[in-house]
Amino acid sequence: MTPSSARRAEALGYTNVKQFVDGIPEWKKQGYPVASTPKYLKDLIEKDIPHVLIDVRPAEKAKQEHIPGAVNIPLADLEKAKNLFPKQKNAPILIYCDLDKLSQQAFDIVRKWGYINTSYVVGGLNAWKQTGGQVVSDQFKKQIVYVPKPKPGTIGEEEFKKIVGKPPKNVFILDVRDPEETQMGMLKGAKNIPVNELKDRLGEIPKDKEIIIHCATGMRAEMAYNILKEAGYNTKFLDANIQIRKDGKYKIIKE
Amino acid sequence: MKRKRSLLLIVMVFCLTFAFLVSNSISQQKPIIAKSCSLPGCHTAKPNELYGNLKTVSAKAEMIQIDTGALWTVKFDENTKLKNWNQPINKIPKEKEITITYVEKNGELYATLINVKPPVVVDPAKVIKVSEMKKIFDDKKGLIIDCRPPGRYHEGHIPGSINIWYAEFDKHIDKLPQDKNELIVYYCQGPT
Repeated sequence: MTPSSARRAEALGYTNVKQFVDGIPEWKKQGYPVASTPKYLKDLIEKDIPHVLIDVRPAEKAKQEHIPGAVNIPLADLEKAKNLFPKQKNAPILIYCDLDKLSQQAFDIVRKWGYINTSYVVGGLNAWKQTGGQVVSDQFKKQIVYVPKPKPGTIGEEEFKKIVGKPPKNVFILDVRDPEETQMGMLKGAKNIPVNELKDRLGEIPKDKEIIIHCATGMRAEMAYNILKEAGYNTKFLDANIQIRKDGKYKIIKE
Repeated sequence: MKRKRSLLLIVMVFCLTFAFLVSNSISQQKPIIAKSCSLPGCHTAKPNELYGNLKTVSAKAEMIQIDTGALWTVKFDENTKLKNWNQPINKIPKEKEITITYVEKNGELYATLINVKPPVVVDPAKVIKVSEMKKIFDDKKGLIIDCRPPGRYHEGHIPGSINIWYAEFDKHIDKLPQDKNELIVYYCQGPT
């Protein structure tokens, strides 16, 4: 989009148009400041998307009025708080204060620890209120809790194991590998329809059950998931490597 | 006279029904070109071509799925040609912009050509590296423009930059500087 935008601007007569083609990924990699907007924070809260929200103002001031769901770690205490942060370095971490002064400093500290998706909420609490964001008083979360959600359509490893161990009546396990691959072994109760025949064989898949799909690596399972989803099925897929033995025992290897 | 009129009526009803059926079947068609690409002067859709982002590809199943705003599943085989790509087909990264030329056989689509979008050629004199970008940022010079879709901007942008999504360039010309010699820096999600 950068070269195209630059071309359009030049066509309007602008003479000094530069293109930072490496863009945001390179900027973030360097650890340079990144700003997010109150709208983004609102989206995360409303859509219940896991994130970490830190209020870095002094405790007394912060507790009077703050954004719901935040944890208060005053800037002065931040350096010592490293081990309170999640183990996932890709967790979205949003920092705010009143006028961005404290949050910009806090950004540098947290970013230095390797959290690539750190940002400060531009305009802080005021901008938040102007966007119609709610505030509460003295209801800070006691600690940082970050539990990432599996990506849409995927089934968690634990849930998969539970279902395969004792398949409930309303579940249908679909193996979309090639028939040759299934000779080495299949999951108990699974049905094999290779993904490239799936569209023609939808009639063999019950509409009233939840369809749990797997292949060998997750790729064809995702493909099959897309097809079944479009056809109106209630379905999830295993996004992982799985090896199945003759006796139906299996091993899941997550990357 | 009366017979003529009723004949006319029948013809009219027939025409209307036909028009309805045709319009109905067209409205049920899925888009063949991704919305982000259907910009003036960007790309035009040709018959038997799909333009969009790669969703999934499996060499084992010899199938590829493309997102054009709708999902299309297309089969391929060893006769399928690859353009702008010299690695195995399943190494094409997800979300990559591709064009699939296909033929239809027994209600299924078969790819004859998969064209991977090559990197855009830019004049090196107009390109700046991250260090130079940082300097412009520190010096607070010029106007920095994030040309990604708004959602991306909200999620994280270079502080002080404004957002003019490329797809809405025309709507926001008033946001560009008055002085045509003023420095403008564009950035996005990196080369695609």
